[in-house]
Amino acid sequence: MTARARRWIAAALIATAPLVLAAVAGGCGAERRGPPAAPSVVPAAVEERRGERLFFRFCYQCHPGGGGGLGPSINDKPLPHALIRAQIRRGLGEMPAFPDQVLSDEDVDAIIAYLDLLEDSPAATWER
Amino acid sequence: MQQRARVSCRRGAAGIAALLLGGCFGLMESDGGGEIPPPGARRVDPGDVVVAPGYRVEVVATGLTFPTGVALGDGGAIYLVESGYSYGEVFTRPRLVEIARDGRGVIREIASGRHAPWNGVAFAGGALYVAQGGQLEGGRVVRFDLDGGARVLVDDLPSTGDHHTSGPVIGRDGWIYFGQGTATNAGVVGTDNHDYGWLARRPRFHDVPCRDVTLRGANFETGDPLTPEPGDRAVTGAYVPFGTATRRGQVIPGRVPCSGAILRVHPEGSAVELVAWGFRNPFGLAVAPDGRLYATENGFDVRGSRPVFGAADPLWRVEPGRWYGWPDFAEGRPLTIDFYAEGGGAPRGFLLAEHPGRPPEPVAYLAVHSSAGGLDFSRDAAFGRTGDAFVALFGDMAPETGKVMSPVGFKVVRVNPETGVIEDFARNGGDKNGPASLVGGGGLERPIAARFDRSGRELYVVDFGVLRMTDAGPVPQPETGVLWRITREAAR
Repeated sequence: MTARARRWIAAALIATAPLVLAAVAGGCGAERRGPPAAPSVVPAAVEERRGERLFFRFCYQCHPGGGGGLGPSINDKPLPHALIRAQIRRGLGEMPAFPDQVLSDEDVDAIIAYLDLLEDSPAATWER
Repeated sequence: MQQRARVSCRRGAAGIAALLLGGCFGLMESDGGGEIPPPGARRVDPGDVVVAPGYRVEVVATGLTFPTGVALGDGGAIYLVESGYSYGEVFTRPRLVEIARDGRGVIREIASGRHAPWNGVAFAGGALYVAQGGQLEGGRVVRFDLDGGARVLVDDLPSTGDHHTSGPVIGRDGWIYFGQGTATNAGVVGTDNHDYGWLARRPRFHDVPCRDVTLRGANFETGDPLTPEPGDRAVTGAYVPFGTATRRGQVIPGRVPCSGAILRVHPEGSAVELVAWGFRNPFGLAVAPDGRLYATENGFDVRGSRPVFGAADPLWRVEPGRWYGWPDFAEGRPLTIDFYAEGGGAPRGFLLAEHPGRPPEPVAYLAVHSSAGGLDFSRDAAFGRTGDAFVALFGDMAPETGKVMSPVGFKVVRVNPETGVIEDFARNGGDKNGPASLVGGGGLERPIAARFDRSGRELYVVDFGVLRMTDAGPVPQPETGVLWRITREAAR
């Protein structure tokens, strides 16, 4: 390895360290910052409404309102859809797998659409 | 090059985050809402309770000790029960009181006595019906006149274990419906029941099925806390006393009253009748505007000889005669699936050789460890959300009942019984969910019951008060209970 390559790798590590740390903190962070989003979410599209029903059937009990509970929050993780889909299908850690006998591909897409809605929703529509 | 590096970094970070989404449960300490140091005096401020726009929160009474239920009588009279017992083996004096509407607190004591915990009260026909949990003496349902005259409608309910007699609610048929919880977490008496205190008092106590059941003969070996020798072991099966083994094909005779059931009795007195069974702890009961009965159930804990991970607290629509799954199903699903085994452990096996039916799907799946409590249905357009259920969530008792990554419950939620969609209705403000003793302010602590007044325009929320979870178990704080009232501004 050349000195130039080593410098490039070192620079890349320094540059990515905050991102990695943020990912670590975000991944284990159990709370969405700001009030829970649940009250302000109004699914409009057919897929979002389907996703809402599936979310409350399969996801809410561990991630109430998309926030933390038994599991971590999932309403503040801007993950690629492919990763979300893979985690739903295969499970990870204490999260169970949801095979296609339980959720069809269309079901998983609908859940992801609803999660996008949770993530994008304005959280502070409630009054104190 | 720079752009590719940025994309690579983002993907890497996202990948790590994804891994940690599922993998960090094992890395983190439990973060339950009761895992707090001793708080100071409880401050109460309705301004710290967040409700949907257009609704208003008021304080009706403070300084209550372990309140568990409220009933609304004629002319807006407010009746409330103080339990007289809290997990943590703290006994006080259970009592039925009348509360002033204007914030003056307790007006008068109608009745007091034994058989704590008193777990709820209902009003009908000028009388009050109290479910008495009977941790020491056995459960009862007692009818009180408004001057305190008492008549015991049901006695000797199997209530001296983990879960007690609760409810009650008046059905459309005028009968008194009430819940009876199980002795154990999952059908097998274990060392957790000794930790709870009752096994030493009642070493022969165990769950009783409502109908005959046939066992698979599963037995569980544990330490024996009933002997002085630390190395002693005991083998225990299902539906039998601690230290008693069972065999395959053994039939356990059913009888009524039984464990884990919804039962009913006539308000003038009658034999106890079975409504439905196979519940773990059907704590909250309510009748919907269409007359159908609903119940909340406190789902399995991660404790004892048969710990169950990840079981939600279901909201059930109760069908007469039906079996709802305990001790082999959670929220309608069999415990034999991987879902309910923590840490990649082996799934639970069934206890029963044959099941009395297939349990239905719940109406809604409330959060794991949220401790779903009393509920009621909105039936007046002036309050709004007609037909929705308002459910008090006592909040987690982590880590004793199982670890959580964030506080769960400590709020009132609204459930659409047709869709199963759940929304927060009243909770504490701020950026972290939890009781006021954790998140600060003077808001909700542990909501345990929610009930509308007779007009349907006022929702009363009973707040049990501060209950901390420590290494030594639950530590409740007397005189921290609160009665809240929520109304809709336009309806006032």
